Amino acid sequence: MAGYKSVETKYMEEREKLFRGLTNLDRRSFLKVSAAAMGAAAGLAAPASFTPVTVAQEPGEKASGGGEGFRFAYVSDSHLYEKHVNDRFVRGLLRGVDDVNNLDPQPDFVFYGGDLAQLGQPKELELGAEILKNLKAPLKIMVGEHDWYLDMGEKWRELYGDPTYSFDHKGVHFVVLNSVVEADFWTKRKMTPMERMKTVAGLDNGLQSSFTVGEKQREWLKNDLAGLPDDARVIVFSHSPLYKLYKAWNFWTDDADEVQAILQRFNKVVVIHGHTHQLLLNRIGNIYFYGMLATAWPWPYAPEGMPELTIEMTRPDPFNSTDGCGNGEIPVHPDGMIDMVYNLWNRNPITVRPPYMTSWGKTDVPPLPNRPSY
Amino acid sequence: MKQALIRSHASRVCVGVICLSLLAISSACQRKTASNDAKGPSSDSCCPTEELLSCDGKATITISKSVTGQARADALMEQWKHNHPDRNWVEEEKAAHAFEEPADNSDILKDGQAKGHAYGDFSETDLLVWTRETEKFVAQGSRIFHSGDLLESTVGASCDMCHPHAANTHPETYPKFQTQLGRVVLLRDMINWCIENPVRGKKLAPDSAEMRALEAYIMAQRKGVEMNYGKH
Amino acid sequence: MFRAKLFRTSRQPALMGAAFLAAVVLVAGAAKEAAQDIPRDELGAATVKHQIEVLDKLMPQKDLDQVPPGVDPIAWKALIPEGNAMTPERIALGKKLFFDKRLSADGTVSCATCHDITRGLTDQLPTSEGIRKQFGKRNAPTTFNVVLLHTLFLDGRSPNLDHQARQPILNPVEMGMPDGETALKAIKDDAEYQKMFKEAYGREMNFEDVGRAIAAFERTLVFLDSPFRRFLDGDENAISADAKAGWDLFNGKARCVSCHHMNPSNPLGTDNRFHNVGVSARHQDFEGLASEALKAMKEDASEQKLDELAVGTDMSELGRFMVTHNRSDIGSFRTLQLLNIGITQPYMHDGSMATLWDVMDHYNKGGEANPFLDGGMEPLDLTEKEIDQVVAFLFSMTDDRFKEENQRQFDEQKARAQKERPFRDNEMAARRTLGFEDRVKAESSIEKQEGAK
Repeated sequence: MAGYKSVETKYMEEREKLFRGLTNLDRRSFLKVSAAAMGAAAGLAAPASFTPVTVAQEPGEKASGGGEGFRFAYVSDSHLYEKHVNDRFVRGLLRGVDDVNNLDPQPDFVFYGGDLAQLGQPKELELGAEILKNLKAPLKIMVGEHDWYLDMGEKWRELYGDPTYSFDHKGVHFVVLNSVVEADFWTKRKMTPMERMKTVAGLDNGLQSSFTVGEKQREWLKNDLAGLPDDARVIVFSHSPLYKLYKAWNFWTDDADEVQAILQRFNKVVVIHGHTHQLLLNRIGNIYFYGMLATAWPWPYAPEGMPELTIEMTRPDPFNSTDGCGNGEIPVHPDGMIDMVYNLWNRNPITVRPPYMTSWGKTDVPPLPNRPSY
Repeated sequence: MKQALIRSHASRVCVGVICLSLLAISSACQRKTASNDAKGPSSDSCCPTEELLSCDGKATITISKSVTGQARADALMEQWKHNHPDRNWVEEEKAAHAFEEPADNSDILKDGQAKGHAYGDFSETDLLVWTRETEKFVAQGSRIFHSGDLLESTVGASCDMCHPHAANTHPETYPKFQTQLGRVVLLRDMINWCIENPVRGKKLAPDSAEMRALEAYIMAQRKGVEMNYGKH
Repeated sequence: MFRAKLFRTSRQPALMGAAFLAAVVLVAGAAKEAAQDIPRDELGAATVKHQIEVLDKLMPQKDLDQVPPGVDPIAWKALIPEGNAMTPERIALGKKLFFDKRLSADGTVSCATCHDITRGLTDQLPTSEGIRKQFGKRNAPTTFNVVLLHTLFLDGRSPNLDHQARQPILNPVEMGMPDGETALKAIKDDAEYQKMFKEAYGREMNFEDVGRAIAAFERTLVFLDSPFRRFLDGDENAISADAKAGWDLFNGKARCVSCHHMNPSNPLGTDNRFHNVGVSARHQDFEGLASEALKAMKEDASEQKLDELAVGTDMSELGRFMVTHNRSDIGSFRTLQLLNIGITQPYMHDGSMATLWDVMDHYNKGGEANPFLDGGMEPLDLTEKEIDQVVAFLFSMTDDRFKEENQRQFDEQKARAQKERPFRDNEMAARRTLGFEDRVKAESSIEKQEGAK
């Protein structure tokens, strides 16, 4: 018999057999039952309904957009220390992987949104890579500042290669950027690599520079997109939000305007980012921005500059160390727009549908928080 | 770590003394030995040196006997700075973790009923002292707030990881029923709960210097926000 | 430190405590009776006659309609529903109904069968036996102090006690009456009932008043005069040094207090909320069960159906989800009250844990990982000594009137815990093996095997 059983499960099974003459399902039969149990799996269900999201269930669908619908999942911002240093963040990533592995049917791929490690140490990144290997679906990964500033990306690149790349999937062009490029603030301060890392790791640390995509990557981006028609379906991943939200916390990309200018010619572009650890929505012209949830901890909302489309998630309870955390599913529509499913652990999932974004928040409004940020 | 904190505080008191008066150098530091000649050949036998015990009672400073006056004071200061990289800690803390400035009290300098009286009449220097001392208190809180080590976290966590610039700490809402504790608490009780739970560190004594500094920093960050006890 | 802040708000509890102590001395004989000497009926519950004798000694019939000592009067009043104010007539009627087996389909079961005053107002069984040797899927929670609960049943599917008290009468695996009318018929011709109903509610007998009267009686079952209570009121010596250390752990390292609230307005030790603490995780097909449940409830949305599914089927494990249909509520149950916990074993919603050491082992390892596990569940890294201390503290919360039974249970549980600790997992408790680690690895290894076929 394959699979893990806790001491509790084993004890209960023996006990049940003994007292009630019942045989429990072993883990393997459970998985089969589970797979048969419709698409009611985690995240797929709309709040309070367990009705599967139609797009996700109909990958072959053709519509006016002309493309093919499909679905991917994401896990982001795990900020791993080594297991003996902090079990909680490791458990968070494990839970994220478990969640995504339970999806039925499996997503086409899983996107990891950056900040796999907390202090960019080789052992942290290796631990993360080891855990992510357990994903059943193929992995695509982006870099975050916590992965980078100890050795300037050496270990990360050894594991995952170039952080800037693009790929095509079922007619959608995906672009992955490294948006956490900071100007040198460390040399003149004579910082050690670890001091540099810790400075960048402090969200409210004002000694560091602002994030940028940088000229080199912007050139690359122009070239990468050059051959695409204006009605192409384009989804861009960046670790920091590709707009200017709140500079003091680097909820910000300094050359966001230049990057947006490159994306402007498309009918619509979806940008999905990590870093902010919260439900965050924005629209600038034809560009739709969605923040990803973290598995490590939620950030508070910025005290100013919040995009008007953003619906805050209800303030998390610190007793529940994963409240406000989670992962998500992203069904991609044939026209290139997405449903963003925020799978908040121990809460009902919140789904942001395209009409909410395209109508500037007039229709399909997701549930509002009863306790927003202070 | 608690010891380290207290020690660095003590040495800051010394800085004040040294900076305020050059005379203080010779009075605060006692000559330990002037007997290079007696000890035999030194590396710099043409210039006899002497060793001074600095005012912290621990570090010693070696200086040439021929250096005197302002030059001697400057050399001592340089040496002291070298031994105390932490000397600009308030400014450095501000640069790293910008915090709210204390209130502006310049109105007090206007002519008024108290002019010339022992009570109620204050000078620019008074205001400077107030501001400086208040800032230091808050800066010390900011340091602790941003350091998992100072909180003795066993999971590498510090307050700013969930509360950058003390966001979402809402000190103005206490006392209130805190669901995590199942009872009504003050800000310091919640700080301690956070230290024990998310931070997994060592609880502070409610009246400890660290707790007072943390409270100072957290409250300073809510400058201008209305008090609203019991708010959730 | 907590003492002063928590309970120094009023001097009343301490004074009332003294009055209670005097009462305890008078009735001590009742609790001293050895368990084997108690006369029992065919279902194992103490006989009605015996239970009423014990109860009358424990609770002298005086001022039962008033705010009980040690309870915040404003909080108490807010929990008495309009239209069912506490009166001596209603309490007397409720008491008679509580013990009346005629309310069950075959005349073998009364409320007191599973809420037996000689067994901590529960049945001390993992799950309860109803008519015709049927067992439900849930542990019978104690009826002690139910006046202070915000919702009833372990999934909170009943909004108040007046409503709750009717449900077991109609549940097929409990008392099995097909409907309220049939239940009423069983007692309608009893002249004494006719008189009592008239006096209590001033109208014809009806099934809803049956629930109201039982609830009025149950609201008098306030038992919170424990050594721990006296400790909170300022008596340093009321509990042992171990129990005091346990109280500190309860508020600190063991993280209990965040769900088990203890304050004068809510002294039960529950936040009245619902958490998946990873007990039901061993019946792990949550998604399948949830789909099944939604289908069943779509076909029949009645309260009756919900009650049947929640008590009698595997869907019981879905807990609060059955009521709200919220994914976030899958496998979650209301935080149980802690008062008198020493005499209400076995523990958890399914009675799956025999001792408080088992319960502590479960929490110490952070519960059993499942996709809906409450994120507040973390490994606690408690030492054996610390576990003993928390358990000592838990045993200090039993009302003095059950002192002997409490001591007997402590000794029994301790002996059992020395022999077996089936829920202990030191690797997980010390955070060397993490909650989702084995799940994640097992899943991928199963997948790989299946892929290889």
